[in-house]
Amino acid sequence: MRKLLAIARREFRATAANKTFVIMTLLGPFLILAVSVLPGLLSNTPGALNSGKPMAMMAPNPMVAQTLAPALEAQGYASVSFDDAAAAKEGVLAGDYAGFIEVPAAWPDEEARYYSVSATEISFFSGLEAILGGLATSVRVGQAGLTQEQAALLNLRPEFSVVKLGAGGEEEQKGAEDFMGILFTALGFVMLIYMTVLLYGQMIGRSVVQEKTNKTVEVMLSSVSSRQLMFGKILGLGLAGLLQYAVWMGMATALIHLIGPAMNVSLPASISMANFGWLVLFFVLAFFLYAGGYAALGAAAEDEHHLGQLAWPLLVFLIVPLVLISPMVMNPGSPIVVALSYFPMTSPIVMLVRLLVSTPAWWELALCLGLLAITVYGMAVLAAKIFRVGILMSGKRPSFGEVLRWARVR
Amino acid sequence: MIDVQSIVKAFDTVKAVDGVSFKAKPGEIFGLIGPNGAGKSTTIRMIMNILSPDSGSVLLDGHPLREDDKNRIGYLPEERGLYKKMKVADVLSFMAEVKAADRHAARKRAGEWLERFDLSDWRERKVDELSKGMAQKVQFIGTVAHDPDVLLFDEPFSGLDPVSQDQLLTAMLELKAAGKTVLFSTHIMDHAEKICERILLIDHGREVAAGALSEVKARFGTDAARIEFDGDGSFIDSLPYVRSTRRFPRWVEVELQGEDAADRLYTDMAGRLKVRRFELLEPSLHSIFIRLVGAERSGNNADREALNA
Repeated sequence: MRKLLAIARREFRATAANKTFVIMTLLGPFLILAVSVLPGLLSNTPGALNSGKPMAMMAPNPMVAQTLAPALEAQGYASVSFDDAAAAKEGVLAGDYAGFIEVPAAWPDEEARYYSVSATEISFFSGLEAILGGLATSVRVGQAGLTQEQAALLNLRPEFSVVKLGAGGEEEQKGAEDFMGILFTALGFVMLIYMTVLLYGQMIGRSVVQEKTNKTVEVMLSSVSSRQLMFGKILGLGLAGLLQYAVWMGMATALIHLIGPAMNVSLPASISMANFGWLVLFFVLAFFLYAGGYAALGAAAEDEHHLGQLAWPLLVFLIVPLVLISPMVMNPGSPIVVALSYFPMTSPIVMLVRLLVSTPAWWELALCLGLLAITVYGMAVLAAKIFRVGILMSGKRPSFGEVLRWARVR
Repeated sequence: MIDVQSIVKAFDTVKAVDGVSFKAKPGEIFGLIGPNGAGKSTTIRMIMNILSPDSGSVLLDGHPLREDDKNRIGYLPEERGLYKKMKVADVLSFMAEVKAADRHAARKRAGEWLERFDLSDWRERKVDELSKGMAQKVQFIGTVAHDPDVLLFDEPFSGLDPVSQDQLLTAMLELKAAGKTVLFSTHIMDHAEKICERILLIDHGREVAAGALSEVKARFGTDAARIEFDGDGSFIDSLPYVRSTRRFPRWVEVELQGEDAADRLYTDMAGRLKVRRFELLEPSLHSIFIRLVGAERSGNNADREALNA
């Protein structure tokens, strides 16, 4: 045990005292923020990315002007009325206005136009188009001789809402923003597990290959058993990974409890401490599962390039859930998703998504965790056997199939 | 004591070690000698249980190597390697740590060895920055700093300058004097000759000669003479009692056979050449090695068998 800890300590130091590690640890949260919170933040607060410049507008029809001005206000734009299209365009070109909206008097029979220097602010001008679309109906209905109230009634959308049924029967209204919030949180969490497991797995594989290429392996094996060497390395790197997660979770907690309320930013409901707990638990399990695999393949590999070739089967299992993320969020109860949430190679990621989106039964969780634990153990036993054979092998480039056969060597 | 009992190890169809047996005792230096590819490293790896023999056994103090025994052994592998990004002092304390050695004692010993090898200033430098020879000395220190009873050095002198080689020879003699079991492999006979009590000469995985150095010399050694002369000495090659000659720029070494060969050579030369120097050489391990291994290489086993008879 003392030897195993000595190896783990060395591995931990070699990893955590690395510049890349420090940078990753500090920048990680910003990355997560970028993929999870930021999109939600932007869609909740229109105009968060506005330049702050007013919008030029030329709308001779007073009804159009009266409708557009408050709509622009809601998007964070002050509106300035123009009588001369040429002057407005000059103002846009000079950079005084964010854009110029031209709605001619004969509109909606003549087309309305939006001018800007980039013409790429799609969310703004598609919103504008929608407002004008509603307005055009009102104008045309008015022309047909109906009263303003009747016209407004025609335009009114019927109400519709989505309700999430909790495990205890509690009801919770969900909107499109909630879906986006969950999707982005799920995406953030999945990316995080995927990247860290892949990163740490490869680190372990590399660290093992380097024992061979650095020729340190014989000295090590003259002091410790191959098991101690392998599990020491996995433990050391696992602790480095946990340290990283601890820093991230600390920052996330600060975000939720201090910075979020202080900045009056509403975070997606799925970003909660309970979900962070699940994230860490599934990271740890996925880490140990894949760490064994990468350690065994690292021992079998001749060099880092060869390791890359050998490790593709592991990579496939990691990528499958990543590709399925959107269907998983939309259909968490589909048989494929449920099956993948039991299958140990994919369950850490898939079950995490199910937990974010829906409420799996307790026995499902127990089954998933139980299978995962058994597989982690099985993988460790298998990996130790392959490791023992592979670590001293040199000058050969065994295939994945040959490597698997080593597990049967007594 | 290391007791190696007719171990065999084959890689695919090639028998790297084929029935080698020997004992290395505490307080002596045992030399495992042989040409490149003779099976020396494979033998040492089997002693270390890094490779397991196909048949035969290796006993340490009467029992097969246990995991705990690793703490009592210092092993310097032929393929040297240290963690490149670590500092010298950290590498050394790590190496002692994985031997479950007392940390302070190991650090103190490592410090003394560093001092001795003039490496104290490099203590806080990374292994990366060391020269190959320095790294090798650091690795030697890592092999002995946990004060093991049994030391296995695989080609310990390769890559070292003469001064360092001498330092290492002295160190090995001290370890022997301290009662350690020291086993080392080499293909450089001078080193074996300087420090070994007993040797095992192997070639193609088989024992060629074994025993105390003096016995081996008495048994396989032949008389030889080093001569310097003016004149045409080509007739020497065809003298009946001359086994072989080797011509160096400034002298000729003549290997002799038979009684009184040296006397006869001297008198034969005296009449025909102007002899400037005539020196009888002690049979060297080097010449025994060349003869025993060279005979095999030239496919002439009769020579070896004759010697063994």
